[in-house]
Amino acid sequence: MSFNQNTLLVVLSCICISVCVSGEVVSAGSPVFKTHVDPLYSLNLLTALNDYSDISQYCKDLLDLFGNQYVAYVNCLVPAARPVKVCQNCFVNFENLNKTYTNISSDEVGPAGEVCRDSLLRSDRLMLVFLLFSNLDGIWEKSNCKNCISSDSPSLTNDTLYFLAMLNQTYNCFDQYQQGNHTELCKNCKNTYRDLNILYSEMEKNYTMCIDIEDAMNVTRRRWSKTFNCSFPREENVPIIAVSSFMLFLPIIFYLSSFLHSEQKKRKLIQPKRVPQYSSLMNIQDKLS
Amino acid sequence: MANITKKVSWSSRADDSAAAQAGEATPLLNGSEQERHTSRQQSGGGSICQIGRLTTVELEEEITADEESIRGQTREIPHNEKLLSLKYEGLDYDNIENQLFLEEERRMSPMGFRCLEVSRWVVCGLIGFLTGLIACFIDIAVENLAGLKYEVIKRNIENFTETGGLSISLILWGGFNAAVVMLGSILVAFFEPIAGGSGIPQIKCYLNGVKIPRVVRLKTLVVKVFGVICSVVGGLAVGKEGPMIHSGAVVAAGVSQGRSTSLKRDFKMFEYFRRDTEKRDFVSAGAAAGVSAAFGAPVGGVLFSLEEGASFWNQMLTWRIFFASMISTFTLNFFLSIYNKKTGELSSPGLINFGRFESESVEYYLYEIPLFIAMGAIGGLLGALFNFLNYWITIFRIRYIHRPCLQVMEAMLVAAVTAAVSFTMIYFSNDCQPLAPENSEEYPLQLFCSDGEYNAMATAFFNTPERSVRSLFHNQPGSYNPLTLGLFTLTYFFLACWTYGLAVSAGVFIPSLLIGAAWGRLCGILLASVSPNASIWADPGKYALIGAAAQLGGIVRMTLSLTVIMVEATGNVTYGLPIMLVLMTAKIVGDYFIEGLYDIHIKLQSVPFLHWEAPATSHWLTAREVMSSPVTCLNRIEKVGTIVDTLSNTSTNHNGFPVVVESAGNDEPGKLCGLILRSQLIVLLKHKVFVELVRSRLTQRKLQLKDFRDAYPRFPPIQSIHVSQDERECMMDLTEFMNPTPYTVPQDTSLPRVFKLFRALGLRHLVVVDDENRVVGLVTRKDLARYHMGKHGLEELQLAQT
Repeated sequence: MSFNQNTLLVVLSCICISVCVSGEVVSAGSPVFKTHVDPLYSLNLLTALNDYSDISQYCKDLLDLFGNQYVAYVNCLVPAARPVKVCQNCFVNFENLNKTYTNISSDEVGPAGEVCRDSLLRSDRLMLVFLLFSNLDGIWEKSNCKNCISSDSPSLTNDTLYFLAMLNQTYNCFDQYQQGNHTELCKNCKNTYRDLNILYSEMEKNYTMCIDIEDAMNVTRRRWSKTFNCSFPREENVPIIAVSSFMLFLPIIFYLSSFLHSEQKKRKLIQPKRVPQYSSLMNIQDKLS
Repeated sequence: MANITKKVSWSSRADDSAAAQAGEATPLLNGSEQERHTSRQQSGGGSICQIGRLTTVELEEEITADEESIRGQTREIPHNEKLLSLKYEGLDYDNIENQLFLEEERRMSPMGFRCLEVSRWVVCGLIGFLTGLIACFIDIAVENLAGLKYEVIKRNIENFTETGGLSISLILWGGFNAAVVMLGSILVAFFEPIAGGSGIPQIKCYLNGVKIPRVVRLKTLVVKVFGVICSVVGGLAVGKEGPMIHSGAVVAAGVSQGRSTSLKRDFKMFEYFRRDTEKRDFVSAGAAAGVSAAFGAPVGGVLFSLEEGASFWNQMLTWRIFFASMISTFTLNFFLSIYNKKTGELSSPGLINFGRFESESVEYYLYEIPLFIAMGAIGGLLGALFNFLNYWITIFRIRYIHRPCLQVMEAMLVAAVTAAVSFTMIYFSNDCQPLAPENSEEYPLQLFCSDGEYNAMATAFFNTPERSVRSLFHNQPGSYNPLTLGLFTLTYFFLACWTYGLAVSAGVFIPSLLIGAAWGRLCGILLASVSPNASIWADPGKYALIGAAAQLGGIVRMTLSLTVIMVEATGNVTYGLPIMLVLMTAKIVGDYFIEGLYDIHIKLQSVPFLHWEAPATSHWLTAREVMSSPVTCLNRIEKVGTIVDTLSNTSTNHNGFPVVVESAGNDEPGKLCGLILRSQLIVLLKHKVFVELVRSRLTQRKLQLKDFRDAYPRFPPIQSIHVSQDERECMMDLTEFMNPTPYTVPQDTSLPRVFKLFRALGLRHLVVVDDENRVVGLVTRKDLARYHMGKHGLEELQLAQT
């Protein structure tokens, strides 16, 4: 866990730096761009744009809030990408973002007597706010996080917590026996691992799974089978070959014995009544010659 | 040297020039023989000098004695494909326009005809509905039973993977398969052998105009349906699509008659349809409905009927057949949607659902077409190999494994071996693939794979064949490795080849598709690995589809209908051209080596099947050489005793008798005035329509066409009709009942002309007359079907008792 915290910090700082850098690039880039255009005209345009805003303060506040929460959610998502923890780490952020977006998209009339939905979401072709949100919402949908979050109070479901606890237990077991011979590990951790597996397949059946759990399980399984090599060995080659070659041998005996012992089916030929005459014979000869 | 050639041509008419040359020194061989069974047969007329038939002529004097002894006892030879069985008869497709018929037609009002037309539509609707229901039943039964089986075995394997003892799972799997297959095989082998196999050859023959005994009975249907469930659940390399076509045909034959002879229930409905003409039309509708239910391909179904029975076709009939097909696929769709608890969501039109090919990469490019054609050629080669192997297996089976208990044992062994091979394959496979939500494996087996992965070989083997086909078409690229596919193709090829022809009811469509899909996918993967940018266009699923089409085309050699069926089953018209090209290539390549599987089986069953055209180079054969002669004729007013004797003569099991005007002399052939069938005579005898009786009892009801229909289609044998000694002396007037205008040809008509008449009119008997309208011979289906093109030119098949 501590390891994860560290990486999170590192990644966060990285993002900060990259955002700042990109911001600089943009700010540095725009004057360069301006020099190519008639300065007076562009200045006029800019001021005109700055002066006039077609949205009310209320909506602007909402938009700012949305922006902040958006950044917070994305900041949370990125470090949770690997190993996947997007649900357990970021569900609070998503709840907030979702709430704000619901506010924006509701048809309530704000204090200034305007509907923010119309001004923020529908006034241009790009519909940026909608686009941004639908991207994140898509991620949320795809990761099936809904299954792991209980809806009434935003928190992880009991199932998920139980699974995480089990997972932790298994990992502890792995850590305990990791040094030295893996057969020891396979033997000792088998029970906890199997319980985890059973729990997982139950959850799979009940559709109470999100990407976090799937990924954690996948990683665990990979460790179990590939790293520790605890899969079942192929040990029964001899009996399998013996039984199947016995079965393959049976038809040969069957066919041989039926070939030798069963009497061959004969068909009685029937002589049809025919009258080929001189004339026809002559005809054939004529035609052939 | 010469002797050897002649001995060979004793059984086949291979060497006609030799025959003709030998004919110059012809001894009289069987004149006496023919005299023997002539009660009222004309022996050779004045101009007709009796010599042996052409083939016997070849024997030289020194073997003549030998030959006579052979003629005394019946000659026996092992079964081969160059025989025609006596047990098959033609259908009476041609309408018998006797006086009864004309009377009935006169009595019928225009309203009555309209009602008939409406009831034809009703019957077609019913056919579609019932066929769809049956398909639905089969599908649900197979799904549940197979699901249960795989669930049990899967759990067992999982347990034993952990604790050891997988050989027990193997035995369990094999034992389970064998037990279920035994059930199905017992049904087929002991109760209704005709229900074995896919049933498509039989239906093809029926539509061709051959009456296959018991092929459209209710019992056959029941055995077929349960048999197919057993064989699919029993894990054989078979599909349930072919039998569906047979089932549809039986449903059609049953529904259109409005009664069941097996259940002894007569609903007094659709009585007008109780004759071969109507029944056969409905059977073609039933076959179409079956195809349509099997593949979700209504148009394909119609075209299948068109391809197989097209000599009698008209626009209204086609339209009705299409109606039946549509109803059938709709019914299946609707009831499956109820079963899947999505009532009204019509998304499963057929038993086999290829799934939708929709992603971008499944488009094809122009430069892929040569690749497709090459795959078609491979399919043709593999199909020819399949047919060749199956041909020999089938011959062996007919010759040596003809007892029912042996057949059941064989089927059980095949089932057990299939399980053993599959298990071994899965056990030793190292191909592990991650479980992903998008390729939803129904029964993923982990075995020795790491946790969270499954054995890729198991998806191909440990599944019903339909599902395997679908996963080969649609699984992500990379979900099979080439080695797995190669091994799978190889084993499944031999398993399927071995399985087809067992005494279980099972089709060959799905196994062929599966083999083809496997090697097609392999091609796709190899292409993608060979050329660097091929991974963009070489979608393995697309190549799996093409491979499946190629393999199926190479085995069954259907053309038009198969193309449409494949296109409809994929639901993608874009693939029309590639599939057509592939099927064409496969057919051309395959036909170079051996015929299609169904044709092979038709031949091996010794069915007198008439192909589209008379064999080439047969124009020099005339009706005189083809016909049977002398003919057993009846007089217009005939003594009952004579008729009974003629009918009970077991050595000449004739079905049609030319009716002649009484001739003056005994050796003069009479002038033809009509044709009467055995079935009609039997009905007449049963009702004792004798001249004397009619005279004495004037009140007696006149015989109507209805009486003939009531006896249809199972006319009692002559032995069951009791005729007293007194009655034998009575006379019978056939004028009213015979067909007064039978088709006739002069003696010099060439074989292809006769052939065309038979094929186009669906004739059963064709009377050969001389210039004075005197009967000289009778041509039947068997007389025509025995000529065929062999390796050495025109060959003649032999008649045999089977």
